Amino acid sequence: MAKRKIQPKKKIETKKKVQIKKKVQAKKPKEVKFIGQATKLRQTEPTWVAEWPRSITHIHTYGMLSPFFRGLKEGKLMATRCPNSNCPEDRLWIPPRAHCPDCHTEMVWKALPNPVIGKIYTFTEVDYAGAGIELSTPYWQVDVEIPGLATIPKSYLLYGKPYIGMKVKAQFRTKRPTNTVLDYYWVPYEQ
Amino acid sequence: MITFKEGNLRVPKWNRKVFVVAGGTTAYRKHFPEYKLEELVMMAFKNMLEDNNLKMDPLEVKGLINFATYGEFADHFQDQLLCEAKIHDYLGLDPLYNLGIKTGGATGGSSVLAAAMAVASGYANVAMAAGWERMDEVDTRTGNFYISTAACKDFETRLGRVYSSYYAPMANRFAETFHVSEITRAKIAVKNHLYACSSPYAHQAGKYTVEEVLASRMSAYPLRFLECCAMSVGSACVLLCDEETAYKLTDRPCELFICGGTHTLRVADRRPMEVPLLPHETPEMYKDLYSREGARYPGFESFLAARFAAWLVYRMAGIQNPIEDLDLVELHDAFTISDLQTYGDIGLRPYGQEQDYIESGDAYYINPHTGKPGKCPSNLSGGLIGTQHAVGATGIFQSAECLWQLQQKYDQFHGDPAIWKKWGKQKPKDWESLQIPESSKQALWVSHAGVGSHVTVGVLRKSW
Repeated sequence: MAKRKIQPKKKIETKKKVQIKKKVQAKKPKEVKFIGQATKLRQTEPTWVAEWPRSITHIHTYGMLSPFFRGLKEGKLMATRCPNSNCPEDRLWIPPRAHCPDCHTEMVWKALPNPVIGKIYTFTEVDYAGAGIELSTPYWQVDVEIPGLATIPKSYLLYGKPYIGMKVKAQFRTKRPTNTVLDYYWVPYEQ
Repeated sequence: MITFKEGNLRVPKWNRKVFVVAGGTTAYRKHFPEYKLEELVMMAFKNMLEDNNLKMDPLEVKGLINFATYGEFADHFQDQLLCEAKIHDYLGLDPLYNLGIKTGGATGGSSVLAAAMAVASGYANVAMAAGWERMDEVDTRTGNFYISTAACKDFETRLGRVYSSYYAPMANRFAETFHVSEITRAKIAVKNHLYACSSPYAHQAGKYTVEEVLASRMSAYPLRFLECCAMSVGSACVLLCDEETAYKLTDRPCELFICGGTHTLRVADRRPMEVPLLPHETPEMYKDLYSREGARYPGFESFLAARFAAWLVYRMAGIQNPIEDLDLVELHDAFTISDLQTYGDIGLRPYGQEQDYIESGDAYYINPHTGKPGKCPSNLSGGLIGTQHAVGATGIFQSAECLWQLQQKYDQFHGDPAIWKKWGKQKPKDWESLQIPESSKQALWVSHAGVGSHVTVGVLRKSW
């Protein structure tokens, strides 16, 4: 406590000295300060190799596909379909598209009736995943055939071991959703 | 459903002939802290101008260039937008125009295609296609994530964040549909790692057994690390020109034909269709192939983009039967499975019999069954699995390797101890030449992106 009392006195003295100096150097221009962090050198011989850290957030829109992601949150698998009766493609799309690739007509939405039952077309076990992976490894990534679809969408199996032809049922992460495609997944389906 | 109308199937035709006369490359490594990117490209550029026995002084050759295309896969990796401007200036080529080319893993092939278009159209008499990738600024897993953003970021990237996990489902489906043992895939890995042992440029050379490949660490089932391409740093370039200039520069020019094809970024979206037939194929060949339950073309087994590019280029170059007409292929073996799938797409074997190209021994420098040269050897450069995948450079490097093989310069560019020394290596005592016979006439290379989103197929024809 005693030391703290002494310190303010010293500071006041310093300030006075500084004020005198400032008067003398009144014309000194305002300098640009370095406000970043010093670059860390990983290597100095024979060449310099420096670390340039980075942290970035992208602001990404789901655009006209927003109903798909909103649907997952509500426990629904939403697909799009081309309403043009002259278009040769009348099947459903997941991943959805806002426009038909064949005739360019704006598509319409259709919710697949629950339970959605699909069949595993192929699969892999992801053992080594890239940076930022949000699923605990290893996990089974599955491509699932769904009746009525033109496509074979990719997702993951919550538990169990997949095989080609295995029947699976869609489930949804309606509690604590991730607001990404990870909000639906498959589980083994036994009748 | 993809349905073609007349104009869609027009076979490309150059307005005048296009030739490749020279190639250049650096070595490829996981890390290359010794050199900045522009320094590496300069080394490949000098290699192209100075070491190809051109009949003019290197700076006089440079004085003929009036257009350049630059292949770079990802700005993420370089962390430099307009990298092309920096490289172009560094090579001393301003103010000649250049175009940056970006088509994923097919960037190198597309860069050659764009340079060929410039020569064929008359925009340029001499054009350079150069490519590079600096993949060592981030750690491997971050690199894997960057590459996985070449899957659909809304519906696929989150499900793996590593590209092997987008090819592995294809491997499982391919094995199921066509009854292929993983030993066949492992043989491809063994072969390409082995051929890389003869290359002073190789990043992942190695002598492995099938058992060692199958016992190696799993990336995404069933693909092991030894079945996956390298993530490399390096650069390559080739010099293209019109007919008159070609013979002024060399007595050994190769005529160039190259076409491209595309297909959906997401494999999920590939709707079934009929097989576009190559010149030697008939509808009867595929009558029963896709009648099995769930089987569909191209499905998860094949690449329509590669088939379409081959469909065009075989007609453009007058190739009737690839296995008979080609003397060498350099394929885009990003993974053993994609190499295997491509054999069917480019017609080395009919769809469904891809594995026979390996099992017959045709794909080898020396056929292991006969002890004689393989009928149409594949990836003698070591490919992407053995030698390198500095993505923007790859399709250009492959074309340079095809050129040197046809020019009978394999030993000149791979066997000289000075080259090994230049890249900090010692030429192995058991080094073996992989030079194809002098009678060889045509070589083909495939440059391939995504899970088959963009593919170019190029053909080089000996023209002396």
